[in-house]
Amino acid sequence: MVKIDIGNRFLFNLLAIAGVVLVFYALAFSGLGPAWRAQGGPLLYLVAVAGAGLLLVSVVFLIAKRTGLGSPRIWFIAHVIAATVGFVLVSIHAAGSFFEAPAVLLAVLVGLMGLGVWARVRAANLMAGTFATKRGGFAAADPELMGRMRRLIEEKRAVLARLDPNASEALFSVTLGHWLRHPGLAVAYHKLARTEEGLVGARQSVGAAQAWWRSLHMALAGLFIAGLITHIVVVTFFAGYVAEGRDIYWWHLAAW
Amino acid sequence: MTAEDSNAGERLSLMIDIARCTGCKSCEVACKQEHGLGSGVYRNRVLWLTGEAEAEAEAAPTPAPTLDFLNVTCQHCERPACLRACPVSPKALSKDPVTGVVTVNEDRCTGCGECVVACPYGAIGYDPIDHHAVKCDLCADRRAEGLGPACASVCPGKAIQFGKHDVLVSQAADSGRSAGEHDPFLMGPGTVYLEPLKEGPAFSLAALARRNGPALMDDPDARAQMGTDPTEFPYRHARADRKPNRVEAGGCALCFNCCTTKFHFRDDKLVRITGNEEDPLLEGRVCPKSQLSVQLHTSDKRLTEPMKRVGKRGENKFEPISWDQALDEIAEKLKALRDKYGSEALALFSGTRTGIMVNRGYLRLFAQMWGTPNIESTEAFCSAGKNMAYTLIQGVGGSGNSYTEGDMGSAEMYVFIGDNQAETRPVYFGMINDWRLRNGARMVAVDPRFTVTASKADEWLAIRPGADMALGLALIHHIFANDLHDAAFCESDIMGWSEWRDFVLEKNYDADWAAPITDLPADAIRRLATDIAKADGCVIFGSRGLNQHSNSLQTNRVFMFLAAMTGNWGRAGGAYFNVGAGVPIEANAPMERRGKIERPKIQSTPVAWADAIRTGKPYPLKGLITSNNPLAMWPDQTKAREALESLDLLVHVELFPNETTAYADYVLPAATGIEKGEIGRSNDDRRIVWIDQMMDPPGNAKPDGWIWTELGKRLGFDDVMKEEYKDSAFFWDDALIDNDHMRGVTQKRLHSVPYRWVRFPVADETAPEIETLYLKGTTAIGKPEGHRFPSKSGKLEFWSPDMETKFNGLGLSAFPEFYGEREQLIDGPYMELLEDDGADGVISTLRAEPTINSPGRIVQPSEHAPGQALRDAGYDTELVTGRPPAPQFHAWTHYAWQAQEMWPDLYMQIHPDKAGALGIEDGKRVKVETSHGEIEARAWVTTGIRKTSVFIPIGWGEQQPYHPWRPVNYLTDKAQRDPLSGQTNLKTYLCRVSPA
Repeated sequence: MVKIDIGNRFLFNLLAIAGVVLVFYALAFSGLGPAWRAQGGPLLYLVAVAGAGLLLVSVVFLIAKRTGLGSPRIWFIAHVIAATVGFVLVSIHAAGSFFEAPAVLLAVLVGLMGLGVWARVRAANLMAGTFATKRGGFAAADPELMGRMRRLIEEKRAVLARLDPNASEALFSVTLGHWLRHPGLAVAYHKLARTEEGLVGARQSVGAAQAWWRSLHMALAGLFIAGLITHIVVVTFFAGYVAEGRDIYWWHLAAW
Repeated sequence: MTAEDSNAGERLSLMIDIARCTGCKSCEVACKQEHGLGSGVYRNRVLWLTGEAEAEAEAAPTPAPTLDFLNVTCQHCERPACLRACPVSPKALSKDPVTGVVTVNEDRCTGCGECVVACPYGAIGYDPIDHHAVKCDLCADRRAEGLGPACASVCPGKAIQFGKHDVLVSQAADSGRSAGEHDPFLMGPGTVYLEPLKEGPAFSLAALARRNGPALMDDPDARAQMGTDPTEFPYRHARADRKPNRVEAGGCALCFNCCTTKFHFRDDKLVRITGNEEDPLLEGRVCPKSQLSVQLHTSDKRLTEPMKRVGKRGENKFEPISWDQALDEIAEKLKALRDKYGSEALALFSGTRTGIMVNRGYLRLFAQMWGTPNIESTEAFCSAGKNMAYTLIQGVGGSGNSYTEGDMGSAEMYVFIGDNQAETRPVYFGMINDWRLRNGARMVAVDPRFTVTASKADEWLAIRPGADMALGLALIHHIFANDLHDAAFCESDIMGWSEWRDFVLEKNYDADWAAPITDLPADAIRRLATDIAKADGCVIFGSRGLNQHSNSLQTNRVFMFLAAMTGNWGRAGGAYFNVGAGVPIEANAPMERRGKIERPKIQSTPVAWADAIRTGKPYPLKGLITSNNPLAMWPDQTKAREALESLDLLVHVELFPNETTAYADYVLPAATGIEKGEIGRSNDDRRIVWIDQMMDPPGNAKPDGWIWTELGKRLGFDDVMKEEYKDSAFFWDDALIDNDHMRGVTQKRLHSVPYRWVRFPVADETAPEIETLYLKGTTAIGKPEGHRFPSKSGKLEFWSPDMETKFNGLGLSAFPEFYGEREQLIDGPYMELLEDDGADGVISTLRAEPTINSPGRIVQPSEHAPGQALRDAGYDTELVTGRPPAPQFHAWTHYAWQAQEMWPDLYMQIHPDKAGALGIEDGKRVKVETSHGEIEARAWVTTGIRKTSVFIPIGWGEQQPYHPWRPVNYLTDKAQRDPLSGQTNLKTYLCRVSPA
């Protein structure tokens, strides 16, 4: 039964190691040389690049999971390990500047990691405990609801006929390919699917945390990616704005 | 529903019959075995759903309770919401286009849980350790081997059928059954649920969905108490590691159903226990206990080394020692004890765990060689009254009927009185329920609780605890008064029937008399009597609900008489059944080699030994070798503990450490059935099920036979307790079966069939098995020609002057004069022992061996009745005890994690009206007190119990690993006993209940 997995113990050990590294770093920080304080200097710049690269493994995981690129479980593990190491690196890159705007990204990362750990450790038990707790499917049918469901399914089929003519509504959900090829239809179908989910009461059938943690995790991840891109764009193209009159000592393309 | 994604004709499904499901959870156990699932991980689950029958709520002053079971498993929907919710692409979930089976690829699943959220049936499981979805795939691996799903293969009630969806639906329609609608979201579920058979809006699949189960079944705190992963091999191991390469036929040694099983091994490791589909009778049916006992064999909690106590009694401090040291020291201490107090000072107690071969074989030989009359099994707690009643009436124990379609299956009526067969022998009940549903037979359950058995019955009579004898007498009275009895049978085959008739009529034990005693309407009693008398075949089931009372013998005689007078004895489809039919085996040492016994046996129950141990009266008992757990089992636990503390020598032979272990001087680790070779329990059906020794015990644990033989060797008994007897199969053939009933039940014959059972009596190896004994015109085996029954007279003997004299010797009459229990909410006649256990008493007139017996007297009610005094002191509630649901059996299953997962905590069932008045909430802790002691339990608030009663099950103990609780026997009293049979009242006490 042993699956390729990141077990709770491994996860805790990973976090503990990350924590120890950061604590040692914090304790040693005052004694470190200037290279460890210059966020844009060669050392911390490279650290940042490495950290960001590792954090972007999560994006690869997102894509791989939706495209069949390798084993989703292996990519999942990779995203956890890479994100944790990436977090350590970008924390070092921050060089103690926790009250400047980019530190928001660190806060988001902390939120992402916390949520991820919660999901893996606590929500896993909630999910296991959900078995046989729902009665909705066995309840007496509401004719009005069934009518709405029927109409909704017809609408889905109509959209699907244009979005993916060979697909069956019974088994279909929008994939990355659909989003890229037919974004409009994908949005339309996705909205119908969400409506159906609402009629079924799927997310109401479990606790709010269990129902929405993943949406929140993805939203935070999106926020982080957006913030990371913003940060890179700003330091690369708006170096003057970032320097606020000081030397621009980091690699950049424009000093607006 | 659409069929666009599957070939409709080939779609595979389960069909679940709610009318046949008894909530035993055998399917859950089979599923976890098959798929190696761990604690908290499910592919299927059976919910217990309780509620009131809404339709009747307005019409009746007391709404009828309901109890139904919903088997939740994947519906293999046409439009599976789980699959569409899966964000992985290609999806981790897939649907077979031909069979429609939805499966999860656990290696692709990232464990996000979206499918768990999406499924409106709650049928997607999740593995919280390996982090992936888990779901039913209708046992794809088994299907690949041409087998059906594991759940369907074991179901005791045949409530789960597997096949092509269309065929199943058509079969249901052909049999007049309707499938419940459960598709409010147009998912197109494939699983077919057959609606309950009872009529009314309360009895439908949709009504079930509105109900809930007891809080204690789904308590995350109780689950957490078991730890993150309580499982051991083979659970949570790869299928390849669990794949068997050896399968051996045998049976279950736990309960009285004696299910035939197959033991699956991978090399020397037990990996699975299943039913035996080659058994023509049980056809693979098996209950949850049998299957999850695999966890007992692989448990790391087993005793594996002999140990010697190094701390004070009760401290649980031991050091491991060798077998030689343990047995040498025990032998020396036994000799010293004999020299000082005489051989009778040693008491031997065995029973449930040890098995019948030990009780009637090894231990009996040892007792004879040593020279002590003080040997007892658990019979005195469970079945002494009914065994004695059978023997008095027909000469041998047990019913002569069989669980076959032609015999039991042909009855027109089934009446369960104090027998919750659905939970205590779930496979037998499954067969009975199946037959009666097919034949339209009527079923009535008489019980203070709305048990699972009652939930399946056509009628539930919520009798006052302890009033069964009154009911039986009133039924007899009504039948005689209206000439409804089988006069021809009475005349030809019952000795003393007219004397009974005259007695019952003279006493005027009519329905109006019984109504206030039983708390049942007189009309209901009269109707039941008429129905029993008029049925063309009525099977009356009694069990511990009748047996565990101070009127045990007489109550059993009353119901036996009821069966006999209506012609339901010695015919197919008519019988009185009371659990095991007995196993007529015994080993006997040559008379000249037996130890000299100079003093009579101290009573016929081990509970009476407590006084002899503590006070030395009527003579000292100083040594006890016990293979059971007196410190959970014996009534009046406070005195039991005092007694065990006073012993010079206490040896405990056990599988797992328990309360008694902590008090023992020596602890000897024992072996299970398949580790030693034995037969199954005494069962209703006269089947002897043989279990080979298939594996070695863990560590240095040894079979009981080995232990007794080795101990005997050290005491010079080895010429009788031969070395070869360590081989239980040899012992069986050589020492146990030399009688007319068993001579044909040889090892050769047992091994000649793939299901390993033979139904006795068979006088030789070639004699045919007899489906129904004592049929008209037949002669009982070993009896003179024309003796239809094996009694001395050849008739059923209910009364004779000689019998009257014997009864008089113990203070009672052989006529069934009514008495109930001492502690009840109404004051009626009750039994009082005239002497305490330390007195010399009288020598029993009903037992073959000299036995000290306390005579008794029936005390008539008065204003100073003990019940009144207790009620004045606030003990205002009837306490009923009994067996917990099917996965639990005594203490054994409390060491199996899965039984604890299903039924974790000791509970107390209480009616919502009473609970509300006392401020007791479902699932919360309560304190229960009797005048004998107190315990705590968790409340299960349910309408399925009389408003004036509470129910607490047996089996929990303070030393158990997952959910320890004080045993219920802290609340019972050893002095409320049947003077005739020695049976202690374990069922009915007055108690008071409060929130803890």
